[in-house]
Amino acid sequence: MFLEIKDLSVKIENKNILKSLNLNINKGEVHAIMGPNGSGKSTLANVLAGKEDYEILNGRINFKDNNLFDLNIEERAQEGMFLAFQYPVEIPGVNITPFLHSAINSKRKRMSEEEIDNLSFAKLLKSKASDLGINIDMLKRSVNTGFSGGEKKRYEILQMSILNPDLAILDETDSGLDIDALKIVTDGVNKLKTKDNSFLIITHYQKLLDYIKPDYVHVMVNGSIVKSGGYEIAAEIEKDGFQKFQ
Amino acid sequence: MNIQDNYLKNKKNIFFSENKDIQTHREKLINIFENDRFDKKNNESLKNINLKNFIDFNYKYLIPEETSVINNNHENSYSIVSVNGQCSSFKDDKIEITKILDEDYNDFSKNDTIENNDHFVNLNSLFLNSGFKIVIKKNNNIKIRISNIITDDDLTIFQKNNYICEDGSSLNLIEEYENKNNSTSNILNVIKLEKNSQINHFLIQDNSPNHNLIITTHSSCKKDSTYIQKVYNFSEGYVRNFHYSELIEANSEADLQGIFFLKDNNTSNNKTFVKHLAEDCKSNQVYKGILKDRSKATYFSNTHVDQVAQKTEGYQLSKGILLSDNASYFSKPELKIYADDVKCSHGSTIGPIDENAIFYLRSRGMSKIAATKILISSFINEELNSIDNEQMSEIIQKKLVRYLSKVK
Repeated sequence: MFLEIKDLSVKIENKNILKSLNLNINKGEVHAIMGPNGSGKSTLANVLAGKEDYEILNGRINFKDNNLFDLNIEERAQEGMFLAFQYPVEIPGVNITPFLHSAINSKRKRMSEEEIDNLSFAKLLKSKASDLGINIDMLKRSVNTGFSGGEKKRYEILQMSILNPDLAILDETDSGLDIDALKIVTDGVNKLKTKDNSFLIITHYQKLLDYIKPDYVHVMVNGSIVKSGGYEIAAEIEKDGFQKFQ
Repeated sequence: MNIQDNYLKNKKNIFFSENKDIQTHREKLINIFENDRFDKKNNESLKNINLKNFIDFNYKYLIPEETSVINNNHENSYSIVSVNGQCSSFKDDKIEITKILDEDYNDFSKNDTIENNDHFVNLNSLFLNSGFKIVIKKNNNIKIRISNIITDDDLTIFQKNNYICEDGSSLNLIEEYENKNNSTSNILNVIKLEKNSQINHFLIQDNSPNHNLIITTHSSCKKDSTYIQKVYNFSEGYVRNFHYSELIEANSEADLQGIFFLKDNNTSNNKTFVKHLAEDCKSNQVYKGILKDRSKATYFSNTHVDQVAQKTEGYQLSKGILLSDNASYFSKPELKIYADDVKCSHGSTIGPIDENAIFYLRSRGMSKIAATKILISSFINEELNSIDNEQMSEIIQKKLVRYLSKVK
C-alpha cells in the first residue's frame, strides 16, 4: 500500500477533529475527498504533511513503507509528499527561485541523487512556469507575496511540478480560481499524473473533479469517511448536497 | 562614589576643566544628577539598564601612547584609527581634522534638546576626555572609515566628535566599534549638515560582552541636506543607540535605520527623537531587532512636527522577531503633530517567528533551522539590499552568517 491511514483520531485544543478515519491509496490512483465545511478535510491534509499543532490520539499512517509519524515535516516532503496549501503563506523577502532550488536539492540529497546546478534548475523552472502560463517576472518575486488568489494556486502547482512528488495532496486548490485559471491548474496536475504517483484531492465541489478525474471519491463528515465510491458520488453531492450523509 | 565626588576627584584629567563657562555648565549638570538621580520609574529610556555600572564607576582614562593613524588611501578616501577616542590632526584641501575645542563644547551645551533629558549625554559632558572634529570642506565628496580602538581594560571613554559637512559636500562615513576589552565608551557625535550636503553614516557595532557602548548622535540639517544613518548592532555587550535629529531648514531629510541582533543576556536600547522645524522635510525611521535567549531591547521613537513644518512626511516603523519566550522587545512610537498638512505614520510589530511560514518552508523539504534562518534573513532583506556600499554589505553579511550560526 502506498498510503495507508488506519483508525486515525486527531484532536486540536481539546476538540476531536478526525475520528477513526481509514483511507488507503495505491500507487497511480487519484482519490478525492469531499465534505462540508468543518468536516476535517484540511486537518487530514495538515496531519499528513506533519503540522505539529495536532495531537494524534490513535491510529497509524504508513507512507511508502515508512511509519509517517517517525518522519518530521521536511522528511515527509523529501520522501515525496507534497501539500498544495489552501491558503499559501506569503513570505516577503524569500525569493521564489533560490527557495525552490533549495527545496528540490534537499529532496535529491535525501534520495542520494546529484544536486541540480543553477543553470539546469533555471531551465527547468522556466519551462515548468511556461507550461502553467506563469510569467517569468513572477519568479523574481518573493514567495506568494502580493500574488492574487489565482497566482498563489498556480504557484503551488508550479512547485508541485518542480518537486515531482509521489503523493500530492491538493487542499481546495480550486477555491478562488476563475474558470480559466482552474483549467490551467488542472491541466498542470493532469500532466503530472503517472502510474507511479498518487493524488489526494480535497474539494467541496464537483467542478474540479470534472477536470481531474478521480478513481475514488470519499465523503467525509464529522471527522470520518462515511461513504466511498466512484465519480458518481461527486455528481450525487453536486445534486443533493452533503445533508443526506450527515 | 557619587557623581560629584567622582568628577571632583578626576577633574584635572577632564577636558576644559580650566574653562570657567564650562565649569559653570558642569556644576549645573551635577545639580541635575543630584535632583533627578536617574529616576527609572519616570524615564523609560533607562529601562533594562544596570545603572550601577554607569553611575558608580571608576573613572580611568589613558592618553594613548600610540598616535592615531590617518591615511589618505585613495583620492577622497580616508581611513582613521581613533585610539581611546583621540585622533591626530590632519589637513588638506578637502578635510580638516582637529581635537575638539572649548568652543565646540559650548556650541553643543547651548542645545537643550538633549541635555537635562539624557543623563548619559550629561555624563559625557561632565567627564569628557577625548574627541575630535572633522570638517568636510565645501563641494567635496569624501569617504571616511574610522576604526575605534580602546587600548586597555577598565577605561571609561567620554568622547565628543563634531562633524561638519559644508555647503554642497557629501560624506560617506563608516564607523567600526569592535572592542574586546572590559571598558565603557560614551560617545556623542554632533553632526551639522550645511546647505545641500549629505551624509551616509554607517555604524557597525560588534563588541565583546564586557564592553559597554553608548552612542548618542545629534544631527541638524539645513536646507536641501540629507542625513542617513544605518546602525548594525551585533555586539555581545550592552549598546545604547540614541539619535536626536533636527530638520531646521526646508527640504531637508533624516533617514534613520537600526538593526540589532541580540543573544544571551544582552540588552540594546534605542531611541530616536526627530524634530521637524521647517516645511517640506522628510524623516523615515526603521528599527528592526532579532532577539534570542534572554536578550532585551527597547525602541522609543518620537517625531515632533512643529506648526510651521507644513508638508512634512514622517514615518516610523519598528519590527522584532523573538526567537525565545524569554526575549523581550519594548517598542513605543510617538508622533506629536502641530501642523495640519502632513503625512505621518507609525507602526510596530513584534512577535515570534511566523510558525505558518516555517511549516510552509519545511513542507517543501527545508529543515527547521534552515527555514528559521531564511526567515530571519528575509526579515531584514530590504535593509540589507539597500546597502549600496559593497564593502559594507560584505561585512554585514559575514556578521549575519556568524549570528545565524548560533540560531538553533
